[in-house]
Amino acid sequence: MNGMLNISSAPHTRDRWTTPYIMRMVLLSLLPATTVGILVNGWNAFGIVALAVVSAVACEWVFNKICHKPDTIWDGSAAVTGLLLALSLGPQTPLYIPVIGSVFAIVVCKGCFGGLGKNFINPALAARCFLLISFANAMAIKPAVDAVASATPVGALKAFEQVDITKMFLGTADGVIGGSILALLVGGLLLWSLDIIHGQICFSVLIGFTLLIGLFGGEGFEPRFLLAHLCGGGVVMGAFFMATDYVTSPVSRLGQFIYGCLIGVLGGVFRLWGNTADSFSYAIIIGNVCTPLIDTYIVQKPLAYRKIGKTRRVKREPFRIPRPVIALTIIAALAGLALSGVYSVTKSTIEEQELTKETEAYKAVYPDAASFAVAEEAQGTIAAMEGNTTRVNKAYAAKDANGNTIGYALNVTSKGFGGNVTLAMGLTADGKITGISFTELSETAGLGMKADEPAFKEQFAGKGGKLSLVKGEAGGEQEISAITGASVTSNAVISAVNAGLDLYATVLKGGN
Amino acid sequence: MRNTFRGGVHPAERKELSRDARLRLYDPKGEMVFPLQQHIGKPAKAIVQKGDPVLVGQKIAEADGFVSAHIYSSCSGKVKAIEKRRVLSGGFAECIVIDNDGLFTPAADYSVRDSEGNLSANEIVQRVQEAGVVGLGGAGFPTHVKLKPKDPDAIEYVIANGAECEPYLTCNDQLMRTHAPAIVEGLELVLHLFPNAEGVICIEDNKPEAIHAMEIAASGKQRISVQTMITKYPQGGERSLIQAVTGIDFPISKLPADVGCIVQNVGTLYAIQRAVLYHEPLFSQCFTVTGEAVSEPANFFVRVGTSYAELLEACGGVKPGMTVAKALAGGPMMGVAMGSLEVPVQKQNNGLTLLAEDPVEQAEKLMTACLHCGRCTTVCPVGLMPQLMADAAIAGDLERYEKKLYGLECIQCGSCTVACPAKRPLMQTFKQAKAEIQEKKKREGGGQK
Repeated sequence: MNGMLNISSAPHTRDRWTTPYIMRMVLLSLLPATTVGILVNGWNAFGIVALAVVSAVACEWVFNKICHKPDTIWDGSAAVTGLLLALSLGPQTPLYIPVIGSVFAIVVCKGCFGGLGKNFINPALAARCFLLISFANAMAIKPAVDAVASATPVGALKAFEQVDITKMFLGTADGVIGGSILALLVGGLLLWSLDIIHGQICFSVLIGFTLLIGLFGGEGFEPRFLLAHLCGGGVVMGAFFMATDYVTSPVSRLGQFIYGCLIGVLGGVFRLWGNTADSFSYAIIIGNVCTPLIDTYIVQKPLAYRKIGKTRRVKREPFRIPRPVIALTIIAALAGLALSGVYSVTKSTIEEQELTKETEAYKAVYPDAASFAVAEEAQGTIAAMEGNTTRVNKAYAAKDANGNTIGYALNVTSKGFGGNVTLAMGLTADGKITGISFTELSETAGLGMKADEPAFKEQFAGKGGKLSLVKGEAGGEQEISAITGASVTSNAVISAVNAGLDLYATVLKGGN
Repeated sequence: MRNTFRGGVHPAERKELSRDARLRLYDPKGEMVFPLQQHIGKPAKAIVQKGDPVLVGQKIAEADGFVSAHIYSSCSGKVKAIEKRRVLSGGFAECIVIDNDGLFTPAADYSVRDSEGNLSANEIVQRVQEAGVVGLGGAGFPTHVKLKPKDPDAIEYVIANGAECEPYLTCNDQLMRTHAPAIVEGLELVLHLFPNAEGVICIEDNKPEAIHAMEIAASGKQRISVQTMITKYPQGGERSLIQAVTGIDFPISKLPADVGCIVQNVGTLYAIQRAVLYHEPLFSQCFTVTGEAVSEPANFFVRVGTSYAELLEACGGVKPGMTVAKALAGGPMMGVAMGSLEVPVQKQNNGLTLLAEDPVEQAEKLMTACLHCGRCTTVCPVGLMPQLMADAAIAGDLERYEKKLYGLECIQCGSCTVACPAKRPLMQTFKQAKAEIQEKKKREGGGQK
């Protein structure tokens, strides 16, 4: 026994949990969302993530140096802030935006208030709101594919347009980089099952939001409507990663519940009656600001002072399903829903979209018609043809503004090389084709797909009777020049059109 | 079915170091030191003088008042001095020093069982008091005081505390494995005092052999049952056990007897059995010497007054090539960091843990600002909010600390400090705040007079 013995106050042991451990786990749980975001959105998204994280960490280091504070970059909190900020930006955001955001988050929101644990609002969110206000144009979310600005799903939701929930769920919809709900849920539930984030907060946010949207959204508790709202506008990211930020959320269980509900309800109010798609960021920030107030007044009493009834409460080990099991079950159920239930959820949307597409096709082939009405006389024949490879699907009478029948619009199908070839065709009252327009065409690119080119399509106008296909230049009244190298497709088109002409000759002509 | 309380932490147990080392009696050499205060209450008064010959089990100091306890010699020899010696707390205290002759001649034969049956309640308490039994769980509260609550008929549970939730320590485990019938007999004696009480032996589930042994010993006893507890600190705390057994939580101003419970450590029950049935005073207790830095960790029946340094020698000393970073009297949760091992073992001590690495020293390097993560609130067995308490204490808002946050309810178990990922020294802060509040109250109370 030599040397000095350490003297300190009990306890003389510590848990393995450390601040860097928590931050590392948060980073790990954001990894799925980051990966999906980068894979879907490409290099610019990667650049945004990398720049945001690097500049946040660098900023923290510089700030600490300037202020003569101990180096804190290894606690990981700056990296978390940077990553959260990056995930809440659009994939086409100019690259200076994440840098400005990180500097604002670290210096203004965190450093100036005393560093880790002292900030009163979530730095990443505050930076996002700062950017939204200051650089509205640069922050507008543009689709990754073309540069035409279009509404994000949340924008569409606000305008009560149709949104594709599947895309939102998987993260392929236009939106922020961290937009994959599935990936965010995997990460969020991982944190919850590791006991890092408080279930009271994230679940009360979701419940509060759902209730408000359900009660006042005008669509009731329609699952598709609720899901669309829950999947959009950073609700999931906010609930699991932003609202649960330790520093800016209350400590008592009841306080956390109140805080979560407040955020959920406010988020819903802003979503329904506000005029911004970024409602959730503001809701969380208001929640953050209320935190000190909640912590001052909502304090839990020691067990001995709580009212627990007069009877003796025997505390037994409660039966609990382990959290990882619950988390995995939820993820599995949601993934299953995404894969199998998605079709039924989106079926009517698809149908509606197809209907619009079809009507548009009729208008394209019969520009003179003011409206279309079902051609009753043809319905029997059409029903008899159902199931045939080559068939007429629908027949409409084209009406002029006065309601007189001026011709017909048909939807016809035949089998091509890559699947069904479906097209709309217009016929004048005397059986001459006004034009054709494809509604379903999935032929070989460069060959069969040439059918959709004017050179081929325009040959049909003015022709009637029974068409035939010729190679090379078409001369005759009833001849159509085939597409080079795509005889199957050409044949399919001719067969489909002939089916329509046949219907005219046998049914429609007589009925007129 | 395993019972438990709310909250708590599960630090590394490290019981495997010593759990299978058989309990053995250790006979020390050289001088023995008996501090006059080895219990809560007034110090005892020495009744021997320098040069007096003493025998094992001879009373050398007498209790001063009701809340105090007699002290007996654990060796035979001569009183060398009555002087101030360094004790466990780090300071100096009045001690009786006896020159041990190494013969351990007993003052009476303690192996003869008292054949007298049907002892009255008073008689039992008297014998316990005479034997100088104190709570061996760590606090050292005189047992006879605990056995005399205002209304013995209102006691519903006598809880035998065999939880041993303190990491590293295994002496109670060993005691239960080897002396189960004696412990059950001790519990029966206590139950004899409380006609309406049920005896519950509580053991954490990391001690299956002890549970098995106690179940066998308690089988057929109408009023005694064994309950398995989840291994979790502070399961062995009085309040945690009462919560686990009865579901009752009670404020710090109340005693267990106020809610109909008496909690006795299994070591104490063993001492009660020895005292009542064999007239053997308390001069030895079970004790663990363990830790990564000890060559051969061991469990002893150690004689009161033996020096810690000597016990370490009996275990083969420090492991070769290792340095001791920290020496603890007790385990890492409740233990006291020792400045020197040249201090005597007292009645209420139950272990020596030598750590090769000091977790506190390492934690200080990892300390960050408080994250408000709320882990301290989750683990607090009392249901307090340590994080807000620390904020209030640091801000000097003692009013809020005491009234709004119930800061004085803190039982100082240290769970929050263990759990804190930011490695904040929470318990130290609370100790200071408590001391400040008590100081302030004293001043204000004085001012009113």
